[in-house]
Amino acid sequence: MGNLFPRWTNLLPVKILVCLGALGTAVVALAWYSWTPKFTRVGYMPQQPIPFDHSVHAGQLGLDCRYCHTFVENSPHSNIPAAQVCWNCHGPGKVKSDSVKLEPLRQAMDTNSENYTGKPIPWVQVHETPDYAYFNHSVHVNRGVSCVECHGRVDEMPVVYHAKTLSMSFCLDCHRNVDEHLRPLDEVTNLAWEAKDEDANEFYAKIAGKGGKAEELKEADADKTWDEKLLGAHLQKSWNVNPPTDCAACHR
Amino acid sequence: MRWFFLVLALAIVTFVVALGPRGAKFSDPPFELFPDMDRQYKFKSQKPSHFFEDGRASRKPVDGTIPMGYSAPLNKEDGVPTSALDFSYGEGYYNTGLFGDYFGSGYPEELTLDQALLERGKQRFQINCTPCHGESGNGQGIVSKYWLIPPTANLQSDLVKALPEGQLFWTITHGKGLMGPYKGTINVQDRWAIVAYLRALQKTSATTAAN
Repeated sequence: MGNLFPRWTNLLPVKILVCLGALGTAVVALAWYSWTPKFTRVGYMPQQPIPFDHSVHAGQLGLDCRYCHTFVENSPHSNIPAAQVCWNCHGPGKVKSDSVKLEPLRQAMDTNSENYTGKPIPWVQVHETPDYAYFNHSVHVNRGVSCVECHGRVDEMPVVYHAKTLSMSFCLDCHRNVDEHLRPLDEVTNLAWEAKDEDANEFYAKIAGKGGKAEELKEADADKTWDEKLLGAHLQKSWNVNPPTDCAACHR
Repeated sequence: MRWFFLVLALAIVTFVVALGPRGAKFSDPPFELFPDMDRQYKFKSQKPSHFFEDGRASRKPVDGTIPMGYSAPLNKEDGVPTSALDFSYGEGYYNTGLFGDYFGSGYPEELTLDQALLERGKQRFQINCTPCHGESGNGQGIVSKYWLIPPTANLQSDLVKALPEGQLFWTITHGKGLMGPYKGTINVQDRWAIVAYLRALQKTSATTAAN
C-alpha cells in the first residue's frame, strides 16, 4: 500500500493554523480600528436642510448658545430651536430674508410663500445618545460643564460635525476626573474659555462670597499653576460635585 | 500559502482604503451594529413619528389641558388674542402686562425685586436682546454692524424710558414691528427680569450722562 498522503501534506496542518492565525489577527485588528465610536461617530457631518453656519452665528456674531438652544438649562434635552427663532432674524425685511438657502424656513414659517407647508424644518440630529443611555443636559450645564466638552468648538464649525466620541469611556473619563472639566457658570457657553482668562482675585472673591475659605485657598495655591484642573478642583469642592460612576447612573 | 498571504494583504489594503482614517468627515448615518437597542421604539424629544398625522412625536397639549408648571390659559376678554401656542400664558398682570385693556406700570406683586432678579435679567438680556439692541440697549447691536436692516429701537431713548413696564413686558412677549415674539423662548419670570434689568440700565446711563 502506497503512501495515502503525499509528503507535502506533512506541513499542511501547520500551514492552515498559520493562515487562520493571520486571518484572525487581521480581522481583530480591523475591528479594533474601525468598530468604535472613534471611527463610527467622530466626523459625522450630515447635510442639513438649511446650511446653517455655526461659525457665523456663534463665532463671528457671538450669539450665545442659549439664544437658540433655549431650554438647555431646564431640560434633559437641549432643544433644536423652533423655526420662529430663525424667523426672529430672517423674517421678511430682515437679515438675508431673500436667500435661496432659507427656502425650507420660508416653507415652515412664511404664510405668504407659495411653498408654505407649516411643517417643521427637518434638521438632522448629529449627536445622538443611544436610547439605553440617559443623559441630562441641564445637570451638566448648571454645574459648570461647558458645551465644548462634548460638542467641540462648534463656534468654529461652518458645518457641525461630531467632534468627540461620546462613547461610554468618554463619559466615564470625565465622571472620574471631573475637576479637569469644570468652569465658572457664566463661562459655560463661552467655548473659547481658558483658565488663564479667569482673574485669580475675582475667582477667590467669588469663593469667599459663597462662604468658602478664600484666604486659606489662596495661600495653598500660591505655588501651584493656575490652570483648569486647579480651578475645577475648587469648583468641584464648592459645588460638591460627585458625578456617579455606577451603571444605573446612565442605564436606568 | 504565498498566495494566501498575498490575497490577505490585498484584502487588508482594500479594507483600510475603503474605511478611511478615523475622524474623516462623512455624511451617511453612523453604523450601528444592533440598531434595535440603540434606537428603541419610543418617542424622544423633537423626534419625528409616523404614528401621528403631523409627523411629530412631540405633542401639543390637548385642548383644555394645562401642562405641568404652566399657569392657566388666557381668555379673549383680556384683549390679547389667544392662539393654540398661547398655552403658557395665564391671566392677570404678571402674565400679560395688562390691566384690562391698558398696559400697567410697575412690577407685579408675584415678583420679588432683588439682586438675583437683576442678575438673571442681565444674563437673559445679554443672551436674547444684545444681538440687536446692543449691550447697553442703544440699538447698535452686532446685527447693525453687518446688515442694513431698518434701525433697531434704542432702548435708552426717552420714548422707551417713558413706556410703562407692562408695555415692555408685552413687547418682549408679542414682539413689535420687525421684532419677533419671545413668548416661546423666554419664560414669564425672565421677561420681567429683563424689564427690571432694562430699567436699571436706563437709570445708570442717565446718571453717567448727567455726571
